[in-house]
Amino acid sequence: MANENPLTELSNAMADAVEKGGTVTVLVNARRRMPASGIVYSSDMILTADHVVEREDDIRLTLPDGETVTAAVAGRDPGNDLALLRLSGASLTAAATAPQPARIGQLALALGRPDSAGIQASLGVVSAAGGPVRTGRGGLLENYLRTDTIPYPGFSGGPLIDTEGRVLGLNTSGLARGVSLTIPAGSAWQVAEILAKHGRVRRGFLGVRSQPVPISATQQEALGRDQESGLLLVGIERGEPAEQAGLLVGDILVAVAGQPVGDADELLSRLVGSIVGQPTPVQILRGGQPTLITVTIGERR
Amino acid sequence: MTALFKRTSILDEAFASVVQEVQRSLVVIQSGRFGAGAGVIWQSNGLILTNFHVVAHGHVRVIFADGREFAARQVLHEPGLDLALLQIDATGLPAASSADSRLLRVGQLVMALGHPWGQRGMVTTGIISGLGSVQTNEGRTIDIIRSDVSLAPGNSGGPLIDASGAVIGINTMVVGGDLGVAIPSHVIAGFTDQILAPHSFRRADSHAIV
Repeated sequence: MANENPLTELSNAMADAVEKGGTVTVLVNARRRMPASGIVYSSDMILTADHVVEREDDIRLTLPDGETVTAAVAGRDPGNDLALLRLSGASLTAAATAPQPARIGQLALALGRPDSAGIQASLGVVSAAGGPVRTGRGGLLENYLRTDTIPYPGFSGGPLIDTEGRVLGLNTSGLARGVSLTIPAGSAWQVAEILAKHGRVRRGFLGVRSQPVPISATQQEALGRDQESGLLLVGIERGEPAEQAGLLVGDILVAVAGQPVGDADELLSRLVGSIVGQPTPVQILRGGQPTLITVTIGERR
Repeated sequence: MTALFKRTSILDEAFASVVQEVQRSLVVIQSGRFGAGAGVIWQSNGLILTNFHVVAHGHVRVIFADGREFAARQVLHEPGLDLALLQIDATGLPAASSADSRLLRVGQLVMALGHPWGQRGMVTTGIISGLGSVQTNEGRTIDIIRSDVSLAPGNSGGPLIDASGAVIGINTMVVGGDLGVAIPSHVIAGFTDQILAPHSFRRADSHAIV
């Protein structure tokens, strides 16, 4: 059947991609209503959306070959709506991720396995990329993709793949009030790595309320760098890390651990990971003068 | 897929030529005073396939793209499958080619032809989203094709075609929830075989682009 019309070639290529992507797409049954989907992250781990994991016991997966196995939670990150599940006694082939980040306009297929009838798919293009955005689940999504694929019921946790069957990201409608977003594979895999190691993503906090303010040219000169904004502290929570370290209302926070902070989103992203619990240099402008204060970063629970 | 297409305009041409070919086999079906549905020329001797619910109001007329209009009589119907076979007094009609839907794969490119909201001869495209089954009102389990093709009233009874232009199903709005649902060609063959010689699927080879 070689040398047919180019539409048939395109059609076959997409069916091949779905078949390949289908081998790393599993059914995740961990909530009362209909099951959702997950991606094979490693030989014994499944990456899925956190919001579809409503219970931690009696999690059942249906693998691409139809076998049903049980799984336990290996780690959860509600902030990014990601959860990692561990199977016992399974040896799966991990999903291949696309070597390049997704491009706007490229063809993409959303896959899901919400029932035992087989793989399901929807075609579209990568419509937009955005981020960082606060997720409403206490997290900050560094970047996300939007597509015009149809997010069928049960597609959350499943992959967005390219026409070669490689994973571009993880689809979820749990981050933005039911709107389906795709967490790019790079970010999702980064979080999964942390979850595999530590079981959770540690998010820190200072205990301050702040608002962004411009930094004058004189103050930028004093800082010795071009930084147009900082965070004016307008409230200090009693007994929390900032107060204990001696930060005051009126200080302008400009850097954490040597990394400039110009707005609240940047502050959130600086407070993730191993920094939590550590004495950390926080740079402020106090009376116009750059000052370093050591704050032991608290952990958000 | 990188090496498949030297020029993407080849794709555009292929879409246009496939659609143009199949549109010759697409008809408008009117029944009673109700809005129009779609149908497809199944055999050149005047046999037209459509949804049962499209012709349920009687007084059925078949209208071709060139404006010719024929009175039709129903020769076979099965409400559970939402299928009806009509006969008009015409011969030498451009019958659609068809492909065996038992060979379909999820992800395959498909196109729907019909008259959504009265827009004549409209084409929408997508892929096969899933291959599954549903229970009919009579409790019978039938295979269905789910697609992400955008469908609207007026697509009912129209063909779902594959990348070669062969009919792989008839779009129906009766069963299914949020997905476009089509009755697969192998189920259609089982239906028409009740009165016709066993259906042989034939693919058009005319779309190869050199």
